[in-house]
Amino acid sequence: MSKTKKLLALQFPARSENMCSVRQKLREVLASYSDSETLTNCIVLAVGEACMNIIQHAYGKEEQGDIILEVEKRGEDMTFRLTDFAHHKTRAEQLKSRPLDEIRPGGLGCHIINEIMDDVQLVECKGDCGNVLQMKKCLHQQTESN
Amino acid sequence: MECSIKPEAGYDLLQLSGEVDMHFSPELRETILDKIKDGSPLLIDMGNVSYIDSSGIASLVEGYQTAKTANLPFGLLNISGAAMQVLTLTRLDKIFSLYTNAEQFRQEL
Repeated sequence: MSKTKKLLALQFPARSENMCSVRQKLREVLASYSDSETLTNCIVLAVGEACMNIIQHAYGKEEQGDIILEVEKRGEDMTFRLTDFAHHKTRAEQLKSRPLDEIRPGGLGCHIINEIMDDVQLVECKGDCGNVLQMKKCLHQQTESN
Repeated sequence: MECSIKPEAGYDLLQLSGEVDMHFSPELRETILDKIKDGSPLLIDMGNVSYIDSSGIASLVEGYQTAKTANLPFGLLNISGAAMQVLTLTRLDKIFSLYTNAEQFRQEL
């Protein structure tokens, strides 16, 4: 059985201006393990969408705090874990996609995350964190868009 | 993200480049809605968009809907691979008018 390898643990303020450098760091990590630019783009997009949800909905306008992004690899499976410290508790129903036949701005982030990742779930928090979102992706699968 | 407007014969060309994320999408939204308010058909060149997330896509959807209500042509030009991935994932590639050259858009005005 393969061991879990920790590839990244990054803590940063949950602010939109930080997301460009976070994506860059994630790309650097993925460069060693993904030989598909399409797959790398998709994973970076999904993690970016999840961070955006934390910034906009978990912390919102009233609260400021950090996000911790952890990336682990076990065999061909990668795990992306996002921890926030917001007072707002995200519910599992909030991770569901909305119907795409409604053509309207907004609400596409969860659909994108669910389309790209193989498994998306809120996991139990340890300590004083607000929410922990865990997303898994097998590197040998391709998304529908490929 | 960088966006600039270039007036063309009969329409405005919005040249968009770089990473369009939640930090920059309000600026994109404002630019698009301002041009539509001016009553001009709008073509957005997305050939140099290296990243776009759902907030950037939301700005495009709002522009599309506002232009449709105002009966103004609204199109996307030279969609980059990264942007097309997101449009396909969200199935909006079937909704927007997509062009590979500006002349196609101009002929439809």
